[in-house]
Amino acid sequence: MAKFNWQIAGAAGEGIKVSGLMMQKTALRAGWYTYGSTEYPSLIRGGHNTFSVVAGDQPVNSGQVKIDILVDLKTSQIILDQPLKLPLAELANQSGNFLTKNTVALGASCALIGLDLAIFKQMIAEAFAGKDQSITVQNHQAAQLGFDYAAKNFADKKLKLIAPGRALKNQIMICGNEALALGAVAGGMKFYCAYPMTPVTPILHYLAANAKKLNIIVNHAEDEIGVANMAIGAGFGGVRSMVATSGGGFSLMVEALGLAGVTETPLVIILGMRPGPASGMPTWSGQGDLLFAINAAQDEFPRIVLAPGDPTEAFTLAKAAQNLAEKYQLPVIILADKNLGEGYYTADQPPAGHTNQRYCLAKTGASPEPFKRYQVTASGISPRPLPGRPGGIFLANSYEHDELGYATEDSHERVKQMDKRLKKLTTILASDDLIAPRIFGPAKAKTTLVSWGSNKGAILDALPSLPNTNLIHFAWLWPFPLAQFKALIAHQPRLITVEGNATGQLSKLIAQQTGTMIKDKILKYDGRQFYPEEIIEGLKKI
Amino acid sequence: MTARVTKLSPTWCPGCGNFAILGAIKAALDQLGLEPHQAAFVYDVGCSGNMADFVFAYGFHALHGRGLPPAAGIKLANHNLKVFVIIGDGGGYGEGVSHLLSLARGNHDVTVLVHDNFLYSLTTGQKSPTTPKGQVTPSTPAGVIDEPFNPLATALTNSAAFVARGFAGDIPHLTKLLVAGVKHRGFSLIDILQPCPTYNKSRPYAWYREHIEYLDKIAHDPADLEAALKLSLRTDRLPIGIFYRVPRTPWHENFTLLKTGTLADSAIDKIDLTSVLDEFK
Repeated sequence: MAKFNWQIAGAAGEGIKVSGLMMQKTALRAGWYTYGSTEYPSLIRGGHNTFSVVAGDQPVNSGQVKIDILVDLKTSQIILDQPLKLPLAELANQSGNFLTKNTVALGASCALIGLDLAIFKQMIAEAFAGKDQSITVQNHQAAQLGFDYAAKNFADKKLKLIAPGRALKNQIMICGNEALALGAVAGGMKFYCAYPMTPVTPILHYLAANAKKLNIIVNHAEDEIGVANMAIGAGFGGVRSMVATSGGGFSLMVEALGLAGVTETPLVIILGMRPGPASGMPTWSGQGDLLFAINAAQDEFPRIVLAPGDPTEAFTLAKAAQNLAEKYQLPVIILADKNLGEGYYTADQPPAGHTNQRYCLAKTGASPEPFKRYQVTASGISPRPLPGRPGGIFLANSYEHDELGYATEDSHERVKQMDKRLKKLTTILASDDLIAPRIFGPAKAKTTLVSWGSNKGAILDALPSLPNTNLIHFAWLWPFPLAQFKALIAHQPRLITVEGNATGQLSKLIAQQTGTMIKDKILKYDGRQFYPEEIIEGLKKI
Repeated sequence: MTARVTKLSPTWCPGCGNFAILGAIKAALDQLGLEPHQAAFVYDVGCSGNMADFVFAYGFHALHGRGLPPAAGIKLANHNLKVFVIIGDGGGYGEGVSHLLSLARGNHDVTVLVHDNFLYSLTTGQKSPTTPKGQVTPSTPAGVIDEPFNPLATALTNSAAFVARGFAGDIPHLTKLLVAGVKHRGFSLIDILQPCPTYNKSRPYAWYREHIEYLDKIAHDPADLEAALKLSLRTDRLPIGIFYRVPRTPWHENFTLLKTGTLADSAIDKIDLTSVLDEFK
């Protein structure tokens, strides 16, 4: 498999991410599958930022430790097996605009990788469309100067790669955050409410910028408490709503999570995990909130917890979450992280057209009596009138309540309503909506890696190097798909969990739910996502 | 006669100001000609919030201090609804004061009734943000140290477009304020002086009658922000009536999407993403 890892490094404010994305899209348009990721500290100027693009003629799903080409803007060098001096400032000045340093470097990179410069020039034209034409001209000139310089001076250093030689017509470049946003819209989300927090701020930016096109309302509210409670109000009013935050903001939303649970109001929460506790490491990746998401808020109520492994799953699950929240009248938490959210993947283009139906809305007449909103039913789901309709008057109540919603402290009513709400978990587990854990690789293998969420990419990329090994990937974690998981592991002799936390939270969950103790674990909690090399090394150590 | 209340009997203490406020709400709904399904009430947690079981209209009994954001959400979902918030001085001016500022500044079209009895009464009478300095309460046995919160001045300096104060001892006057607040397009705050005969013995109905002053008797112009602010700072007398009223675009009217119908009714059966997918190519 032809594969390369290109990286650009420099200070915050030098346009590292923009350059990285242009390089990635150039590679995609040249027929390469790509994964792009950025590392940056929590500051606006200075520091050390990087963007790396791993590209392969076969699908790539994760980053890579080994770098083939490093563009270092600080020292004006391109580093392959040895550092090569690239006169960035001089060439940029020759282009007529000294701000084109990055373009020179990208042009040189195209020469070293063997990427068609015409594709990169087209990227430039698109990037600067709408600006003064001279900017495009100068950048085209800079790209050519960089390309020619590298072709002439570093001809012997050019990577020995066989270009894919075909276009990826149905593939797009998309990050997990964008996929979550679009999936939610496809699922009928009409209101998005958020307070900025890394790593999910890009969802807010994307949806706010596109709100008019997408026919949705976006609100940046006063704090995460206001965010969650306003979304619940909109949900009560009949609008499919979503919020997104990271662990700190989610902590503030926890009381509202219980409110959605007890009032049986649909709500979708994206929890973009980052290393914690407290402020933690804002711009880095982690998976430390699995058990928190499953257990957050006082006492017991049903919820669904999902964990997409790539943008395609992110889109599908964000769409499904809108439907699940309404159908089962409960909060749905989507666990994401920086690796998925801010990672740029090559993904199949999602369909443009989507259909949705409304679930469990009550048909109301002109009855002058209060509506039995919390009627005890076999499924645990009760018909829900929307405020404003005659005949549907009810009270949604944060207090324990009777079938009409009125507060009660009666022991029998309490048990009836608790049982009714919890019944929904059984209903979900027995439904077609459940997404079972899935095996990747051979159906039966000597070693089975068990993981969840965004680790999927690194593990998939490691599997070809791991003989007789497969992956069980959980994209749906709660309610725990017990029967499906038990069936999957029945014929797998050796289980090893792979997780981005320090104590093995999925292992604990599996032990609690199945009685199966998985003692071998590959854990990482240094703020970085897994790389395929680390999975391979980790297995050797066990 | 339109049903305004449920079959459940209020649980408030004898003499509680909440009875009178409920009476004013019923009268205001009648005067406004609103059918029960045309109104949504959000209740905070507290003695006032216990009204949730008694009003016959769509209701949402929220978390303590969090009555305001769901109200903004409900109005956004269905802007044809008249949305009310029943909240106390603890929830509105203490735990949830950030939401009060946010809804006032955003001009969310909800009518907020703050049952201001100067105490946390449902938790047996501790100090609230509005309790006078020095007052002895179970949580402040040596007297309240903090200066009291000034809700009206706070609302006025944070762009609230309708600011009023009423008195639970004058139902017809309070009813007028409620009707005016609902008719005002945008955020309206009505701070209601409310005696708590159980825990606030120092401020019985008679005390309020001695201290209130009717704004409509002193020729106050509700369009005059500076005069309103001056009145809000008075402590010797407690003016009641409309302090300030100014026309301003309600929050939900900033969205063209809501000009043709409500958000709850906007179709989701067919979603087309064509217009946004090209940029990912």
